[in-house]
Amino acid sequence: MKRFIEHQELARDRRFIRQANIAADLLATMPDDVNAVVDLFEKIGPVIEAGTRGTAAEPLYDRFGPAFTLMTLNEPIRPGEPGTEDRLKMRMHGIYVGELQALEGAGRSLWDFPDAPWEFKMNMARQCWDEARHVQIFEKLLEHVGGEVGMYAESTFLFEAACADDPALRVAGVNRALEGLACDVFRDNIEFAKQSDDELMEQSMDYVLADELTHVRFGSEWVAEFCKDDPERLKRARDFRRETDRRFNFGGARSNEEGAAIPIAWEDRKFAGFTEEELEDLAALGGEGPSRATMKQAIEILVSRFQAGSAIDEEVAS
Amino acid sequence: MTETRMYPGTGKDERTTFAPYSAFDIPQDLRELHGRYDVETTARRVRNFRYAEEWMMMMLGGWLATVPEVPVKTGLGKIIWEGARAADEFGKRLPELRCGKRAAESSEAGNQAFADFIQEVAAPETPDLSIEKLAGVFDVLKPHLLGLYERHMRETDQIADAPTIEILEDIARKTERHIAWGHEVLDRLCDTDAKRQRRHARQRELTELLEKSGGVTGELALDH
Repeated sequence: MKRFIEHQELARDRRFIRQANIAADLLATMPDDVNAVVDLFEKIGPVIEAGTRGTAAEPLYDRFGPAFTLMTLNEPIRPGEPGTEDRLKMRMHGIYVGELQALEGAGRSLWDFPDAPWEFKMNMARQCWDEARHVQIFEKLLEHVGGEVGMYAESTFLFEAACADDPALRVAGVNRALEGLACDVFRDNIEFAKQSDDELMEQSMDYVLADELTHVRFGSEWVAEFCKDDPERLKRARDFRRETDRRFNFGGARSNEEGAAIPIAWEDRKFAGFTEEELEDLAALGGEGPSRATMKQAIEILVSRFQAGSAIDEEVAS
Repeated sequence: MTETRMYPGTGKDERTTFAPYSAFDIPQDLRELHGRYDVETTARRVRNFRYAEEWMMMMLGGWLATVPEVPVKTGLGKIIWEGARAADEFGKRLPELRCGKRAAESSEAGNQAFADFIQEVAAPETPDLSIEKLAGVFDVLKPHLLGLYERHMRETDQIADAPTIEILEDIARKTERHIAWGHEVLDRLCDTDAKRQRRHARQRELTELLEKSGGVTGELALDH
């Protein structure tokens, strides 16, 4: 078995549909400009559409066009609001496939770095079991909110973005960036569960969050260990984590701004070994790119143009 | 004048109602001293066992990404952790067997042929080879290890080497569970004659290699 694989090589059973996540990648580099966001999403509309065909997101595309991805990313999920049910299913499905990729990332760290210290292997092996349980937990939570595995397309960009060939960069990407994102999302979901009086979701998510904090701590400790006496490597690991975090911000959807779709879990991250300085930097990264107001305006324009186009198509057809 | 100081339970108001403790009440220890392996041999065997457990959990980790069946991925997650703990427990035993503190992280293949055998078990790569991957571990390698663990427990000094027995008891119990899980998965995956043949072919091929290598300790021929 070779060392190091590409994200395209991740194996799935026939329930899964694969989709390139160009929206998140491109949003990471967008300026805070309504027209730029609208132009981009009109250009990549066919790719977004292709990723929804044959999935539960197809009716959402038919109704809102390419803007539906922005709508699901940009707004916080609150109980009782329109679209909450669909967005919750999409988020649970996204977390489920994210856990699957985290499981695969931890497993590959065991195989890809056979000469790593024994304690590192122990930590990665433990993470394999934890992530395996998380996959099982989120399969059940997905069913709990009325969804099922494979109902939406899977993007493997978490694995792609986080799995580097240097173990210091790998743990910076998988354990600090990816697992850090998981902490943010789970803390937000715990709040949602509390507001919805959903004790089942609240308790299981809280256990998962506790595991994720442990995994972030593994990352914090191993980056320090792998990079001790090597400031160059430490800088590369920090830059890599920063770049991965930029992509995981989904164009500012994860930020420290008021009303962010995914708020940064500041206290949880501190507990897991992030410094104040790193958190300030993460918050600054979240402030880059299109603001929430810009995204809202872009969504309105995109939806109205898409619906007007659909109406003309129907008229021509009739 | 102070009273004579007495032992607890012997004062006139402190009489106990039970018979005094007696060594003759303890059943006779039927275990015998002396086993098949001396300290050095046990240390080498423990390093060999550790090598197999360590490489097995590493290869299973690598396969998580290339096995398409989700229940297999999640089932392997726990087996990987238990494999790592097994290797860790073996490692902790080594300094107790005069191998030095640093030995806790050392693994050693029984011989080069066994190291090559391990690489052959780990060779299947693509998603269509789940049967070959799992047959190597659950039909060949783990049953071989279980057999040797049980044999070591039987044949080593039951009193002097009890700490190794204690470690092996726990690992053997878990290995039995792993094998049962692996067989259940393989039985489900091999739902046609062609697939069952693939499983048996892989099993035959690897068993032959394993026997040629002399097994995890390199002494398979001597053990029989």
